[in-house]
Amino acid sequence: MNTLYTMGIDIGSTASKCVILKDGKEIVSKSLVSVGAGTSGPSRAIAEVLENGGLKREDMAFVLATGYGRNSLEIADKQMSELSCHAHGAHFLFPNVHTVIDIGGQDAKVLHVGDDGNLVNFVMNDKCAAGTGRFLDVMARVLEVDVGDLAGLGAKSQVQVEISSTCTVFAESEVISQLAKGTDRCDIIDGIHRSVAGRVGGLARRVGVQPDVVMTGGVARNCGVLHALEKELNTEIQTSPLAQYNGALGAALFAFEKCR
Amino acid sequence: MAIAEKLAEFRKIADNPKTQLEHYKSKGMKAVGVMPYFAPEELVFAAGMFPAGMWGSNTKSISRAKEYCASFYCSLVQLDLEMLLDGTMDGLDAVITPTCCDTLRPNSQNIKVAMKNKMKVIFLAHPQNRFPECGVKYTESCYKKIRAELDEVSGHKTTDEEIQNAIKVYNRSRAARREFVKLAGAHPEAVSAVMRSGVLKASYFMLKDEYADKLEALNAELKALPASDWKGVRIVTSGIICDNPTLLKILDDNKCAIVADDVAQETRSFRCDAPEDDADPIHALAIQFRNQDYDILLYDKFSSQNRRGEYVAKMCKDNHADGLILFMQQFCDPEEMEYPYLKKALDAAGIPHIRLGIDHQMRDFGQAQTAIQAFADVLD
Repeated sequence: MNTLYTMGIDIGSTASKCVILKDGKEIVSKSLVSVGAGTSGPSRAIAEVLENGGLKREDMAFVLATGYGRNSLEIADKQMSELSCHAHGAHFLFPNVHTVIDIGGQDAKVLHVGDDGNLVNFVMNDKCAAGTGRFLDVMARVLEVDVGDLAGLGAKSQVQVEISSTCTVFAESEVISQLAKGTDRCDIIDGIHRSVAGRVGGLARRVGVQPDVVMTGGVARNCGVLHALEKELNTEIQTSPLAQYNGALGAALFAFEKCR
Repeated sequence: MAIAEKLAEFRKIADNPKTQLEHYKSKGMKAVGVMPYFAPEELVFAAGMFPAGMWGSNTKSISRAKEYCASFYCSLVQLDLEMLLDGTMDGLDAVITPTCCDTLRPNSQNIKVAMKNKMKVIFLAHPQNRFPECGVKYTESCYKKIRAELDEVSGHKTTDEEIQNAIKVYNRSRAARREFVKLAGAHPEAVSAVMRSGVLKASYFMLKDEYADKLEALNAELKALPASDWKGVRIVTSGIICDNPTLLKILDDNKCAIVADDVAQETRSFRCDAPEDDADPIHALAIQFRNQDYDILLYDKFSSQNRRGEYVAKMCKDNHADGLILFMQQFCDPEEMEYPYLKKALDAAGIPHIRLGIDHQMRDFGQAQTAIQAFADVLD
């Protein structure tokens, strides 16, 4: 039987991610470009994933696009909602998953996944940046730290500081007030992580939290948010180094199912 | 005329309310703006004037209304004031301002102040307790006052016969809309969500006798269609309003047919007829208001029984809907307060649903597109 390569591409608001699967089982190549919809990110991510895998577009049996910019990708054979793709991708990585918490650049969503890896129910954040990657970006800028350093700095916190979980703009003002009072940055960062966890935890409880719980999306790389969410929901949360590729992985899996 | 052409005509009317207002004004008619909800529009029609529905705008932005409105007023209410301020509604001779919610109530006074001598502003406060006889009497007294004020605007003393005739015309138009909703749900391949909305919305910008004629002709053609073999999903919509064509097109793109609705601008506005055999037409209109039920904007003394939630859940079951989409108007307190009860009833009935926050000023529906597409996947 011929080898079947399928590509999933997740064009998010802040990053473009690609995964190529071999026979729907093995990840042979992946790529990530840190710009998303409406930029050169998608085409660069595609070129990179093909080059990494030593493959050409013609080698792909099916290309499936997902994410915020999914509708504008001409080379895709089909597009699907990232919610369905995240459910599928998480089930591939964690076969016992029933709850996926995905925090991306501009939205947060909680998915209830069935035993077969299909999406059963979901809830998304309102049209608001609170509890999203964007919230962390804004806070990191105010605190003059790299967003990638937030987890390490937050872990050094000694004193609990409360940051409003209701609005990015108000929370930014609160952070500035805390800085003006001389509050330690690490304590503020820990408060920010708990703020995100409070917001997303509320979403998760709406859809119901059933083990295993998995966190995906770019914010899953921040273990400060992950641990705060574990405390908030009183449950263990798993993640994977492939967390940010999860949507693209799910898209590649759906692509395999489409052409099988 | 083919069904598609008829639908397109309704859609065009729905998209051009100002043209409609100018059309009736050019005939020498006076015009009265009618804001949501439950205004006795029959009285405007009976007085020989054009009732112009006011349900916000999908193309305007809020600017001048901000001078008067708190930021947490819903966009529907703010845009109605905006259109009164920016000249869009300059053809109006009066406006009726019902006060069924905590935003409409203060805004009625904003409009009064803002309009000064520009047009007559007719205040309408329905009774909280509409069921007992005293509630009916109170409604009657409100409607009598409105009748008198409309007579002042029209310069003509409306007779009981004229109001009774208006009731007949409106009952006919409501029956036609109820039938259309059923036919559109039965033939989603012929009536898209965008066109369905256009047909129902056009009712606010036409004289109801003309509208009923036109809709009955469309219904006759829809009735003649062979049974549908719809392969997509069947949904019920709920909320105050969901009339943005860009948003509705997402439903069409994802093969979501609206088989019934619990929308204030749509079915909730034409569910109840007024009695035609009542010698006193004002009493008939008060009875019509008394009979309005299962509406989040109206007081329900049995609300602890969650009658409304169960009514909506039953509507989904009766129409064999796969799920419900709640279009929640941003900052709408009644809708937000009711949501947990609606959710409870839907969950108990095993009806999947999603809730989407909407605002008239939204131009990009990326998040809604993602949610609707995923919901359709789940239901399929």
